[in-house]
Amino acid sequence: MDQKEKQNNDKDRLICRCEEITLGEIEQAIAEGCTTLNEVKRRTRAGMGLCQSRTCSKLIARIIAEKTGKPLSEVMPVTSRPPARPVKMDVFRSGDCDEKDN
Amino acid sequence: MKRIIEHPVLGRLEEAREVHIRVDGETIPAREGEMIAAALLANGKSVFRYTNKRHEARGIYCGIGRCTDCVMIVNGVPNVRTCVTPVEEGMVIETQQGIGHWGQEGEDGTD
Amino acid sequence: MVRTEIAVIGAGPAGLSAAIECARAGAKVTLIDENAKPGGQLFKQIHKFFGSREHRAGIRGIRIGEQLLKEAQELNIDVWLNAEVCGIYRNSELWVVLNHTESRLVKADAIIIATGATENAVSFDGWSLPGVMGAGAAQTMINLHRVLPGDRILMIGSGNVGVIVSYQLLQAGADVAAIVEAAPRLGGYGVHTAKVRRAGVPFYTSHTVLEARGTDHVESAVIVELNDSWQPVSGTEKEFTVDTICIAAGLTPLTELAAGAGCQTCFIPTLGGHVPMHDEKMRTSIDTIFVAGDIAGVEEASTAMEEGRLAGIHAAAALGYYKPSEEQRLSAEVWQRLGVLRSGPFGQKRLDAKKDILNARRTISEKVQ
Repeated sequence: MDQKEKQNNDKDRLICRCEEITLGEIEQAIAEGCTTLNEVKRRTRAGMGLCQSRTCSKLIARIIAEKTGKPLSEVMPVTSRPPARPVKMDVFRSGDCDEKDN
Repeated sequence: MKRIIEHPVLGRLEEAREVHIRVDGETIPAREGEMIAAALLANGKSVFRYTNKRHEARGIYCGIGRCTDCVMIVNGVPNVRTCVTPVEEGMVIETQQGIGHWGQEGEDGTD
Repeated sequence: MVRTEIAVIGAGPAGLSAAIECARAGAKVTLIDENAKPGGQLFKQIHKFFGSREHRAGIRGIRIGEQLLKEAQELNIDVWLNAEVCGIYRNSELWVVLNHTESRLVKADAIIIATGATENAVSFDGWSLPGVMGAGAAQTMINLHRVLPGDRILMIGSGNVGVIVSYQLLQAGADVAAIVEAAPRLGGYGVHTAKVRRAGVPFYTSHTVLEARGTDHVESAVIVELNDSWQPVSGTEKEFTVDTICIAAGLTPLTELAAGAGCQTCFIPTLGGHVPMHDEKMRTSIDTIFVAGDIAGVEEASTAMEEGRLAGIHAAAALGYYKPSEEQRLSAEVWQRLGVLRSGPFGQKRLDAKKDILNARRTISEKVQ
């Protein structure tokens, strides 16, 4: 396999396993101006899947660092907000949800 | 893929009650209380679902309920992490396609 | 709303140790874990730990786990299992979901976050095939569930996890075709590495995995040599017939709850990346929130237990359960033991890295003043 073919194949490699986002798509997002994990996530959905970037975070951080020249120390994980785990809507009808109730 | 009966450190695998689970229509034996993923691997099954976009096979990846690669439809509920969910007698397990569907095959008003 | 004094999130070695210390001090403690069983990763560690007798050297991880659980039971610690902490509010309130169905709010005077770390991913063509998994996943399968996930394994990574899990795979009856290490030197403790070598497993340094091949499952793996610039050298590809590829490429602290609560982080590559800053009392940039164990920097179960103790002692002291002199005395004992655990060629790097965390935390205190 020659270099060009290999590079093309590389683009197809999965980075975000949950949402099936490829290296090519992430590099495209960066080329279009994304420089943070939050921005790449919003643009490509990488990190929006069931595992919420747990698996792909560091992989994408490294790609951002390589492509933008930013040091890894400045590539922050995606913003963490509640709920930190997937929660079914049913849960909001149960137990303690409202401070008023207490 | 097989059960480790004798182990140099952990000793002999303790006896456990046998339960039966239905996997894609086939009844297979499992050890009471073991994780679904372990039961499937012990029975030679390593493909748990096919992904949404590329329809690619997935199995276990992190093994501790964090990566969600191992999800299957269990008793009609999709996206159940099989590596941290114990088997139960009569449990119905289906290979999940994409994001899965609610309800079991043949049920009315689903999908 | 449930009222407690100290909420500990995570019942692994750090969380258990923290809860035990809190209970010993007399504080009301609630230990919360999202798994069905406590112990974190301890119960799959079937090998003997290092260290002095104080550090329970020569004792297997599983036994240490059993001891901790027994202590926790004897102290009647309130343990919530299958309980997911979904958020931390106002530095003192936890939103917990029980059994994926029921919401609970917990108000605490102090929170100890001991949520551990997660395995790193390495991407390569075919890495999403069934059969490619974390080394920890294989370890869980063989030691906890007593099921072999495959018969012939390629291990990526020669650090402690890589060599320990390789050895345990051999003990479980599998073949390990090779251990692949990207760096020019092997990464694990000599003792573990030697055991695996003696068992006949070949090591390939300056090599990385190129591809996993197979239709619905791994059928073979291709590795390639790396040059001095860490680039693959064409023509050096080697294919191995394996059905499993394990990735042992380090761990990253699980900081979601701490970061979400507003704890400031610093970047410490040696210990896994972004970690919450903490001081000598294991207190983060938020006064009521402490951290302990791998979340505060990836080390080992022994350091996790000691940090858990520290967090427990200081959280309890903050609530008035220890006089300052007692707090000092107990803390100094733990720090002494931590010093021993962080000594030697392997320990020094971690010691320096932990000092960086303490310095970072000190800097923000100084800024406030």
